[in-house]
Order: sequence, then structure tokens, then C-alpha cells
Amino acid sequence: MMDPGTSRAQDRADAGFEPELSRAQTTGRYVITFAEEGADGDPAALLQSVAGLSQIASSRDFDAQAMDMAQTEGADATVFSELAMAVVSVDPDQLGALQTSTDAQRAVVAVAPELIHHIMPGSAGSSPDYVRGYRDGVGDLSGRFLGSTGAVAAAAPTIPAHFEDDDRATWGLHATQVLSSARSGQGVKVAVLDTGMDSTHPDFVGRSVTVQSFIAGESAQDGHGHGTHCIGTSCGPKTPEGTRRYGIAYEAEIFAGKVLSNAGSGADAGILAGINWAVANDCAIISMSLGADVPQPHPPYTHAGRRALRRGTLIIAAAGNNANRPADPGFVGAPANSHSIVAVGAVDSDLDIAPFSARSLPGRGGQVDIAGPGVAVFSSWPMPMKNRTISGTSMATPHVAGIAALWSEATGYRGLQLWATLARESERLLLPSVDVGSGLALAAP
Amino acid sequence: MIRVSVTIADEHLAEIESVAGALRDRGMEVEHVHDALGIITGSMPDDSRQALTAVDGVASVDEEMHYQVPPPDSPLQ
Repeated sequence: MMDPGTSRAQDRADAGFEPELSRAQTTGRYVITFAEEGADGDPAALLQSVAGLSQIASSRDFDAQAMDMAQTEGADATVFSELAMAVVSVDPDQLGALQTSTDAQRAVVAVAPELIHHIMPGSAGSSPDYVRGYRDGVGDLSGRFLGSTGAVAAAAPTIPAHFEDDDRATWGLHATQVLSSARSGQGVKVAVLDTGMDSTHPDFVGRSVTVQSFIAGESAQDGHGHGTHCIGTSCGPKTPEGTRRYGIAYEAEIFAGKVLSNAGSGADAGILAGINWAVANDCAIISMSLGADVPQPHPPYTHAGRRALRRGTLIIAAAGNNANRPADPGFVGAPANSHSIVAVGAVDSDLDIAPFSARSLPGRGGQVDIAGPGVAVFSSWPMPMKNRTISGTSMATPHVAGIAALWSEATGYRGLQLWATLARESERLLLPSVDVGSGLALAAP
Repeated sequence: MIRVSVTIADEHLAEIESVAGALRDRGMEVEHVHDALGIITGSMPDDSRQALTAVDGVASVDEEMHYQVPPPDSPLQ
């Protein structure tokens, strides 16, 4: 098991990725990054006053800021005003002033050597001999793999992947780096549309909870268990009574909408009413561990997802459990197969695809977007049972929803920006993208 | 009667209430108008799909789908 206190980025740096920079070729110039806000004056004025540079070209001097690089050749500094960056030619004293003077410390975020970039980083250049050698090498390698196994085997980035529940937390929280996150979901509203919530459960005492039933004749109290389990994962406590942690956004505001009955069934009218309620209450995230095994996207969800995104609400839904791998990989059902809704697949504690986790459909929107822990997931269950371990893409979905709340808190992002952040920050897995999309969701640092 | 969700076209979102009125005139029993989403839910007479789809401002008329999670004692949810 991986030490949860060590970030994987750190592991990569230790493994020798970072020293690449020391072998890189540099131009002798420096790239200055200025603070976007709170900087005194414009970058050009600062470069003049602090480093004494006088020949300064600015992108603002060009029509539509389409800079003609030939015209900037003689300049001491070239300022890219939309980026708040500049490339400068400076002597060591000027460089020192840019790094240490009081004015610069306020206005300069970073100073880095300008690098020379190649098509093949670190290669011997692109001479005909080199290209021929490269071609021969690839030919030899593919020949050997195809000859021996019939398929090209990729070299694995050897990040060990096996996680277990321990005294501190569930395997899923370890795998998604939730324990090392400084975020709690504070100030973020998370709606979970499901079978309701057990309001008597000790996990949610003292929390900001809004409940609403969209099932006629039933209160929002969870008479099933599915909803309470999902809320336990996405928004459960940091230190649950007498057991390990399983909750992610432990200070998020909970909106528990009951759209599935105590018998576990629901229909569009109630679910759409729940989405409308969450959007009207300005929830950043809606977690929906529900679906129907139909391959066609259902138009109301496609539109509802799009309009929710426009209002800053990201809908995250379960891809579905209709696979029976390896024989049948299944398909993403509705509403997760709408292109405006995030579809979540499930992985196990070895970060392998869960046998039940549905695969992407061909066509727009039918893809699995991201994966979360979905096998043997320990979380809340209605009293008196209190806790229970179950599996499903239903369990993977609230992991991603809780992690989205951490990212929303960390970045202020909502809607599509939040979606992009989840995708960008997820850990790529050695699994087909049709099964796990961008990979395993990871918590904000 | 068939339970349906009627999606309003983007350019008619501001007039969702008048679209709801037109749907009622064509026999729909409107239950909820969700103005944050631009969707109206309710039920329609069996033969009225075409009439509702033809209403100005309607993007889509879709029969309600049902969803079911497994019973509480199932290990797979």
C-alpha cells in the first residue's frame, strides 16, 4: 500500500523526472511571470525601473497582438501582455534585481531560464541518420513484440497500485489522495439525488443538511440505504464515530433530494424536479447514482445537463452496472450517456476495471468520462446498521462528486471549468479510455 | 394518458409559462414547470404526441423513463 502522505507527483520527481530540466538547452534569456493582480504598474515599467531595461517590445504594439517576432529581435525584453509574462535578456545583476528587489518580489511570480524546445525532447536532433535509426529501432521493437505476443505491449509507468482499507480510511480515499487534501468542501453545496438520507444517522449530526422529497407520499427519510451510502461517501464526516474515514467533502453543504422511492424506483418527473431544485439552490455539484439501461441519450437530461452547466451546476452520474466482463462490457445508460453529464465508471482496489462497470457507447455523449473507487466501498447505512460495504458505479459516482467539491472549493470553478479540472487532474490508468475515460479522479491538494 | 417530459427550446425559455398554456390547450395535464431547466413534466393523451411536438417553442417530447436501484440487501448497487 502506498503511503498516503506522499504525493505521487513527489514520487515522480524522486524517480528522476525533474532533473530533465538540468539537461535541457537554454537560450541564456529568462522568462518572467508577473502577478496577474495587485501588481504595481505594467510589466514594461517594472522591467525598466528594476532592471534598467529600455528596449522593450510589447504585444500591445501589434495589431490584434499578433506579434512579429522579427521586429522584437533587438529588444531587451518582449512583453506578452495577455499572459502577464515577458522574455528578457539580462546580465546577472539585472537578474538578481528581478528576483530580489522589493518591487519585483511584489510583482514577479516566477523567473525561469528560457528553454529550447525540440520535436523530440532530449534527442540528438533530426538529422537523416537519426531519423533512420529511430525508424529502424521502432521497427525492431514492434517486430519483437508482435512476434512474441501478437500485440504491442506498452511499457508500464510502474506506479504500484494496490490499496486497502486501514484504520485511517477506506481504500478509495487512499487511492484518490483524499487524506492528503487540505480541502473539506467548505462553502460548496452538493446535491445527492437518490433514495433520500437517514437524518438520524450520527454521521450527519451538526451538518448543514437540506432535505426534500420528490416522491409522492414519502418523506425524505431514506427507507432503502442507497442514498445514505452515497451521501456518506461524497459528504460524510472526517472522523466517523468508532471507525475509519470514508467521507470526502466533510464540510460541504448537503442537499439530499429523494427522487427514488424506498423501493428504489423513480422516474423522470421526480428526477428532473430534483435537478431543478439543486440548480435553483445554486448547488455546484449534483451526484446521481441512478440510471436506466438504455443506450439512447434521453433528451430531457441532455438539455437539463446543458442548462445546469450554464448555471454553474455539474451533474455527475453513474455509468451503469450492466457489464459482465470479460464476456460483456455493457454500455453507458441514461442519464450518464448525455454529453452534458459526467459518466463515472468503477475501478477496484488494484485500479482494475470493475467487472460490472459499463463501457463507452459509440457516438456523442456515450463515453465514460472518469473513474472512481466502486468495489467493496465502506460507507454510511441507515441506523441501526450504521455502516455497510457494497459495490457499484453508484459508489464510484459519489467519490467523484465529493472530489469535485474539493476542487470547487480549491479553485472556485463551477460548471464546465470544474469538469475540465476533474479530467485534467485525474490519474491516467493503464486501462482503455472507453472504460475509465481520463482515469481515476484525484482530490485537490 | 402517457407521462411525458417536454423540453422547451433555448430561444423560448423566457416564455415557458405561455408554452405550458399551449400544451394545456392541446390536452396535456401539466404537473410541473421547471423554469431552471426549461422542462415541463406531466401527462398527455395517448394520441397527442404530434400535437404537443408542434407547439411553438417545444424542442422535444419524451416519454417518462423509469429507474430502479437493486434491493437494499444486494451487494451490487
